[in-house]
Amino acid sequence: MSTGDIILLSVVGDVGKTYRFLEEIALADVGFVATGDSVSELFVAAASAVIEAMVNPVSVGTNWTREVRLSQEQVDELLFDWLNTIVFLKDAEAVVFRDVQALVSYDSDANLWHLSATLIGDHIDANRQELRTDVKAVTKHLYEVKEKEGTWSAHVVVDV
Amino acid sequence: MKLATSMTVNRLSEVVWEIPATEKLGMLVPARIYGTEKILGEMDEGVFEQVTNVACLPGIQRYAVCMPDGHWGYGFPIGGVAAFDVRHGIIAPGGVGYDINCGMRLIRTDLTLADVKPRLEALMTKLFQAVPAGVGSQGFVKLNRQTFQAVMRKGARWCVDQGYGWESDLTYTEEGGCLKEADPDCISEQAYQRGTSQLGTLGSGNHYLEVQVVHRDRIYDHHVAEQLGIHGRDQIVIMVHCGSRGFGHQVGTDYLRRFEQAAKGSGLVVKDRQLTCAPFQSREGQDYFSAMNCAANAAFANRQVIAHQIREAFCSIFKQSSESLGMRQVYDVAHNIAKVERYEEGLLLVHRKGATRAFGPGSADVPEPFQRVGQPVICGGSMETGSYLLVGTSRADTESFGSTMHGAGRTMSRAQAKRTVRGAQLQRDMAQRGILVKAVSMAGLAEEAGIAYKNISDVVESVETAGITKKVAELLPIGNIKG
Repeated sequence: MSTGDIILLSVVGDVGKTYRFLEEIALADVGFVATGDSVSELFVAAASAVIEAMVNPVSVGTNWTREVRLSQEQVDELLFDWLNTIVFLKDAEAVVFRDVQALVSYDSDANLWHLSATLIGDHIDANRQELRTDVKAVTKHLYEVKEKEGTWSAHVVVDV
Repeated sequence: MKLATSMTVNRLSEVVWEIPATEKLGMLVPARIYGTEKILGEMDEGVFEQVTNVACLPGIQRYAVCMPDGHWGYGFPIGGVAAFDVRHGIIAPGGVGYDINCGMRLIRTDLTLADVKPRLEALMTKLFQAVPAGVGSQGFVKLNRQTFQAVMRKGARWCVDQGYGWESDLTYTEEGGCLKEADPDCISEQAYQRGTSQLGTLGSGNHYLEVQVVHRDRIYDHHVAEQLGIHGRDQIVIMVHCGSRGFGHQVGTDYLRRFEQAAKGSGLVVKDRQLTCAPFQSREGQDYFSAMNCAANAAFANRQVIAHQIREAFCSIFKQSSESLGMRQVYDVAHNIAKVERYEEGLLLVHRKGATRAFGPGSADVPEPFQRVGQPVICGGSMETGSYLLVGTSRADTESFGSTMHGAGRTMSRAQAKRTVRGAQLQRDMAQRGILVKAVSMAGLAEEAGIAYKNISDVVESVETAGITKKVAELLPIGNIKG
């Protein structure tokens, strides 16, 4: 399996998080690897990859904001829910996104991972925004979230 | 021949290949791949891995199949066909795909290229306005909870009852455009919210609406073509490729999660998490089947509303009624679905993911007008090269679970296509070749360039040589709308 070039985030206001789109994998779909120095950074990077697949974020305004709170026992399931929430809101609210902030914490007493996130964007307007591909869903094909020597990474394939 | 796999692949005939069940631990049946030597050589490693993974699923019958347009998907390969015993076998959302009842619709006209060419720009502009496309696009039909449930239960019938289409459209739609085992009680609140506003929309990716001309030298069977309403002589037809939109995608997402949870204590182990499945007779399996049929009906309804909008656009441009323009539907057929069908093994749940039903002449499920010629099969090629109208055969009924190919099949990833092709340049080049493209996304357009796909003629030759479908006519694009 070969991989593509590293693409720096263009999501406004976020620095230091990366993802790269994968080539020669699930040819009709979009695969990416996202990384971060913390779980929170990983969640921003992965969200940014999904957002960038749908739209050029710098072409999107800031008239719409949504707070997202999610909890899961497993961190990979929490990321899966988070990315699917973004895809869901795109259709249910007819919005695309400009910026994303995320804070992930682990409650060892409750054995739960918690996400507190904010999505900022605007209602879809093809005349003003540089729209790309309509992401249908996040798949579990080759799906993996792992931590190695302090770096978190996720391997994700989304259906488009 | 060099293949993208180290597995043993035996040649059964000129275009049928088999991977023995001994090649991978857990395989219950062999895996079969259709394709010429050239097509097999072009297949990526994902096809071989995924079709043999499918061959490991409980209750699978005879063999797992991949059609010649097959390529690496998620769970099943795209182009995958697998049939499971309805009593002891499984149902797998990954064997249907997230875009439940993604499919093709073809409408004929009495117009010719000479009629349309002078007004093509105006026509494509009108169609681009009439059929919303692109990320999160929303349609003009406003549904509430009650009417959305009616769409889930009645499919295309609901649309025709509302005045969106002709009664005969239902005759010329797989299952009459309405699958009976649909139960809105199996639908999540999120799926309602995602689908309410999207009826009559194309979406993006490889979905499109295309105005085509019948290739004057490539009507392969004039008798069958006439039966389908294709007379050639530069005849104009319209092809639509789309599915169940966000509603179906959410149903797939919901049940993948539910199946994973149910599988935790069941001991059911699969080789790819996207192959997560449940026994068809289990509560989860039956609920997914009911929800999948709701989404399939919504897809039939989606293409029905789009057909209505196409007719309205043509009427507006040509100042005639759609009846006087001869805009009869040729057929509408699903290529992402699971259906209960009877074969020599008994009742089977046939999963088709990027594969088309292709019943032969005389099949009880083929509409009466096509009883003697077989079920129409609509295969979309890339937007640069053209598409095919085929018919099913009796051999498909006995050999490939009544199934055949669905399109050209990709050979290049989306990322690679975007690095190779610029959308705006492609649009200009195609215009010079007489193909007018209206696209919401230039990046999306680049991803769908012809070089990203197999040569559809090679793919069609594979299924024709195998005898599981018969060529009727080749269709060339002159106008394309993409999301």
